[in-house]
Amino acid sequence: MLMNELIKPEDVLLDFDAKTKDEAMEMLANILYTHHKIDDLQGFLKDIYEREAITSTGIGFGIAIPHAKSSHVLIPTVIFARSIEGIPFDAMDGKDAHLFFMIAMPEDGTNAHLRVLAMLSRKLMHEDFREALFDVQSLDEALKLLHTMN
Amino acid sequence: MKKIVCITACPTGIAHTYMAAEMLENAGKSLGVSIQCETHGAIGIENKLSEKDITESIGVIIASDIRVDKKRFHGKPLIEVSIQKGIQEASKLIQTMLDGHVKIYMHKEEF
Repeated sequence: MLMNELIKPEDVLLDFDAKTKDEAMEMLANILYTHHKIDDLQGFLKDIYEREAITSTGIGFGIAIPHAKSSHVLIPTVIFARSIEGIPFDAMDGKDAHLFFMIAMPEDGTNAHLRVLAMLSRKLMHEDFREALFDVQSLDEALKLLHTMN
Repeated sequence: MKKIVCITACPTGIAHTYMAAEMLENAGKSLGVSIQCETHGAIGIENKLSEKDITESIGVIIASDIRVDKKRFHGKPLIEVSIQKGIQEASKLIQTMLDGHVKIYMHKEEF
């Protein structure tokens, strides 16, 4: 149930076409802003980049998980975007990122939400799950897969 | 079965901590090693290592980008790496521990 709250249909983008890391960040954050999940686009991006400055959230395996606990987050949300072409994201293994999860958590994020993110993080380490996400053909299929986390 | 105890921790504690834990646990399964991994995430400390876990283990792997108190690991072989390495090189880290030649951690109080 919780994953359904964090990733709604409007939070999924299957034909993500950003070309650079900065463009990717801005486009993903803009989805949050457009749907009133954050109250300040630039402010939220600043928090995202602050986290990014510690180490890249391009964790390898074709995954990027830019995330922030930020006072600008109104509704805890995860944006899922897939780029077939791939986007350079300063990954540790040097590979382009194809699967993006932008995680927006309020500063007082509940443990329940953090727990579901921990489950998602663990699941992303499994190749079969990554491949299934990369191969989804429709929004419904993507949501179904992502919501299996519950 | 040989046992290795681990700690994973990252600055935000939302994702990397659990990714590294999962990778270490999975790598342990493939290498036939029992892995006990304590996670320091935004939720707090979970799966806390007991004194028994530490005593029984052949060594300690810490994958963290934040400071972790190592006092309880005094006298154990200890490998300390970044959280990214914990995710990317989990098997290698476990193999290194199995092969031995890991420096024994001697705790010194910091003032």
